[in-house]
Amino acid sequence: MERRDFLRRGMAAMSSLAVGETILLSPNDAHAFFWRRKPELIGQREAVRRANGKGRIPNDYSKATIVKGVCLNCSTVCGIQGYVIDGRLVKVSGNPEDPNNGKALCAKGQSGPTINSYADRLLFPLKRVGARGEGKWMRITWDEAYDEIARRIRKAMDEGKPEEVAIQIGRSRIGEEMGRFLNAIGSPSLFNHRALCSSNKRAANYVSLGETDWESADFARSKYILNFGSNFYEAHQGAIHAAIRIIKGRFDNGAKLVTFDVRMSNTAGRSDEWFAPVPGSDGAIALAMGNVIMQAGEHDKQWLDTWSNVDAESLKRWIARYTPEWAEGVSGMPAADIRRIALEFARARPACVAFTNRGSGAHYNGFNNDRAVILLNAIVGSIGKPGGYCYTVEPTRVPPSVFPQPQPRPPAPKARSAIENPPEWPLANKWQRMKVGQIVYQGIKEGRGKIQVYLSYTVAAPQTWPEGRSLTVEVLKDEKLIPFHACSDIVYSEQAHYADLILPDATYLERWGFDTRNNMELRDYVTLRQPIVPPPGECVSFVDSMIEIARRIGPQTAQYFQFKNHEDWIRQRCQALSKRVGEDGFAYMKTHGVWQDTTKPKYYELYNWEVPAAELKDTRVDEKTRIIYRKAADGRETAVGLMVDGKARRGFITPSRKFSVDHPDIEAAAKERNFTDDPTGMPNYFPVPSIERMRPDQLHLVTFKWNVHTQGRTQSQKYLSEIVHHNPMWINTDTALQYGIRTGDLVEVTTYRPHGHQMKNGGAIVGRTLIPAFVTEGIHPRVLAVSNTLGNPWHGRAANARNSRRSRSDAFDDRVIAEDQDLDGDIWWDVRKGGTGAGYNVNAILPIQPAPLVGMQGWYDTVCSIRKVEA
Amino acid sequence: MAANPRWKMAVDVERCIGCHACSVACKIENNVPLGRFRTKVYYLDTGKFPKVTRAFLPTLCMQCEDAPCLKACPHSAIDRKADGIVRVDPDKCEHDGACEAACPYGAIGCDDNDVADKCDFCSHRLAVGMEPACVETCPAEVFHFGDANDPKSPYSRFMAKHGKDTAVLKPEEKTQPSVAYRGHKKEMEAKIPKGRIHDPYSYEIETWTSLAPQFPKGKRVQWAQVPQGGVFTYGPDAKQLAANGKPEGEDNGKA
Repeated sequence: MERRDFLRRGMAAMSSLAVGETILLSPNDAHAFFWRRKPELIGQREAVRRANGKGRIPNDYSKATIVKGVCLNCSTVCGIQGYVIDGRLVKVSGNPEDPNNGKALCAKGQSGPTINSYADRLLFPLKRVGARGEGKWMRITWDEAYDEIARRIRKAMDEGKPEEVAIQIGRSRIGEEMGRFLNAIGSPSLFNHRALCSSNKRAANYVSLGETDWESADFARSKYILNFGSNFYEAHQGAIHAAIRIIKGRFDNGAKLVTFDVRMSNTAGRSDEWFAPVPGSDGAIALAMGNVIMQAGEHDKQWLDTWSNVDAESLKRWIARYTPEWAEGVSGMPAADIRRIALEFARARPACVAFTNRGSGAHYNGFNNDRAVILLNAIVGSIGKPGGYCYTVEPTRVPPSVFPQPQPRPPAPKARSAIENPPEWPLANKWQRMKVGQIVYQGIKEGRGKIQVYLSYTVAAPQTWPEGRSLTVEVLKDEKLIPFHACSDIVYSEQAHYADLILPDATYLERWGFDTRNNMELRDYVTLRQPIVPPPGECVSFVDSMIEIARRIGPQTAQYFQFKNHEDWIRQRCQALSKRVGEDGFAYMKTHGVWQDTTKPKYYELYNWEVPAAELKDTRVDEKTRIIYRKAADGRETAVGLMVDGKARRGFITPSRKFSVDHPDIEAAAKERNFTDDPTGMPNYFPVPSIERMRPDQLHLVTFKWNVHTQGRTQSQKYLSEIVHHNPMWINTDTALQYGIRTGDLVEVTTYRPHGHQMKNGGAIVGRTLIPAFVTEGIHPRVLAVSNTLGNPWHGRAANARNSRRSRSDAFDDRVIAEDQDLDGDIWWDVRKGGTGAGYNVNAILPIQPAPLVGMQGWYDTVCSIRKVEA
Repeated sequence: MAANPRWKMAVDVERCIGCHACSVACKIENNVPLGRFRTKVYYLDTGKFPKVTRAFLPTLCMQCEDAPCLKACPHSAIDRKADGIVRVDPDKCEHDGACEAACPYGAIGCDDNDVADKCDFCSHRLAVGMEPACVETCPAEVFHFGDANDPKSPYSRFMAKHGKDTAVLKPEEKTQPSVAYRGHKKEMEAKIPKGRIHDPYSYEIETWTSLAPQFPKGKRVQWAQVPQGGVFTYGPDAKQLAANGKPEGEDNGKA
């Protein structure tokens, strides 16, 4: 390279890797060849342990600066505070001011600082030089990266095909920023992961309550907690927030906890009672419990007659068909237990709560399962009551009235994408754009929509998507289908491996952003993520990258980015807060990390709140429905409340303004898609077709999450992977005996394609894998379970259980992030050191199976067969 | 806090959710290398399906009044002050290993590569008025820590209420621990190694079902075999799969 060229590219002096030099990123030891010199061991451990000859130097907190922030090591949204000593983030703790978690954090939260200092972290923008997926990279400048992305986006816009610019995300928490970026381009193609996560549960809440996708159950004041398929001691969205309060409810308030789960999670194993029904039968149990409660007269007749869109007598007649004996036949749970638990639950009313999560929801019939469980709360009248099934106004959005976006804002895109909004799942985008993320790659492959520019962020689809190793990789590798892929990531991930450009990102401890979720204290609240330390090397937060790209595309996009950077966007949005808090809003958010609206009462019985007199101006009450309507200037009417006993109440934000037991949108959607299993809008149970057709020699295959891992982003964190790096397949003792399988034996698992609505090739083989067995009493006899985490081919040494020197150390820079002696000597779980290795990726052989209407992935509907391979 | 604090801890095991937050907080706080543990949470599954339960046991240094590690060290590198905390002086430690061999609680590690290392109730945090890292982060309020001389400390308040229900681990060792437990499964004490620090392999899931487990060994296995070519098709005009020939059917797919 010419010296002039070297200087023009600039910034190369920072690293021993010059811009333009080719490197190979690989997990294989074969590439030891590329090492040039023994890296100096100045890793964190060495520096601390060997200082002054021996002994660690403990953190000197008298020198620490405390900076507030928000964790993003899972989806729970815990407020944190970082302790910075000599410019290094040494520790985080919970933010005592956070209403949800206070000073508590889980293991993942505590692990945060290791993300920043991970020795295998990417520090410089890289451009692919070999074939896609070959792993050959060249260092480039940010200028080159920005210009190339901007040029390609501009081309799509000039051709009138803005929808061919897509962003693929995992849990990003920069939705508004990305929305503005894509809207400015004119593209609707934001591909998310909600259907792989929770869309059935969210849809069930929207249908029932109308204004929220996530309940905020009042666990601490509850006397009885019925948990259908949530593992809140380990992995629930909002896990620690729920766990803190459920523990208080149980041990300080005498609540009983009953858990339904096919596998003995930590939650199930620590419940007062644990039941392991057949997968996908939660709804049958819940409906039968509802029936028992109503037949025994233990329901809240007055509540139902006042607030439900199906009155108590009609509901009682409808639900009578779901007998405990029928539910026993479906679920395997004894009818006597169904009766007993149902009545115990109802007699604790209204301080009792029944709730769900992925165990009930991630099924073909999960939407119905979750609706049936929510209905139990209505039957006993615990909706919104202290100790009951409470909720707040829409909790997942930063309230625009408090944090308005800078003007001007780009209009919503006119272009459409059949990948982003597939008509086969009419409820996927009805209440919220939850989408059907697991079919995106098939959509691209089938040419449902073309892609010119594919940007990816906080996602590792080859690792976490069903059929990730096959379909996802096939599409990501195909340069005809995806001509250009830029990936923003912290480490060399499974996604980054198939990119053309890698943009080194800032971690959640190094960047800005608002975050919020349901507040268990039943108030509006917003948290602020801010850089606790600056990003290292040339890492840039993806939002700052998007702002720069938008400017370079041209004036038509730049006009919507009239703020300096992400920090400035946040600062501007905090200005309206100033008058509420009596000081500069931005300074307030930086100091406290959280704002909570304490001017309103807690959201107990929100439906029963009186409509303010001002809102009743120019309204009329519909005689039949008692809904209060206000007429706008253009003549259109909007509902503002419900007349109840002569008073104007808020009601539920549903079409009937009441709790929706029956819902017309479901009936309409089922009719539109000719989905005959659920022809009415009434609560209903229908079986999972694949499960119904299982042969006696076939088994269920489900997945789960560990308390120290998310599915995609924690495996590279050494202290977490030290605790869990090995995920053998759970199999019940009796079942294992039948197959002659003992713990540690290798088992071959073969999975099959699903049957049912929109499903094709039912019964065909998806794939096979070998995996060792873990024989346990803690699982249903016909269920096998493998964690959805682990088995990473990339993500660096901690994730790969590869105890070795940093491969090709010149890809990194010891002066920016030092080599870590832990990773070069002490990864004791490396197979070569006699350990159990980095685990197995079962998502590879799980079929894509979107549930009818809503489109959520039926993670727990997989049917498989097994055979023992070797002892 | 009294003028002369006497630090003690009570562990309310019934509330524990086995989340490992204490362990990770400890490792981050104290830069504990991989393979070494100052705190650790043991798991035990008992019962026969469907009546099965899981128990947890969080462990740490017991800060024994009659500390075997202190007595065993030939270099007098371990000391116990009036505040009750047993500490290592790294300048005196010759990584002799005698302390590790003497400890009945797996709480101190000392080998050729490293000086003796153990929990000291995060003394550096106590010095500036902070709680130990494990206590601060616990979402379940399992750890009740504080000055036993101060009746208002969380420790004293817990003991006033529940002291009669508490017991020390391995009382037969007669080391007079400063850490008391409430509601732990007695038999789980067998999981805590004597004479050597916590074994890293005891994290493995295979150890959950036994009090004296065999530690598993890794196997090299092939990656999942997955046919190339997407097979999930959708939409009225979507092509049937079969890009790679006829898919294996349900009947001939029997393994």
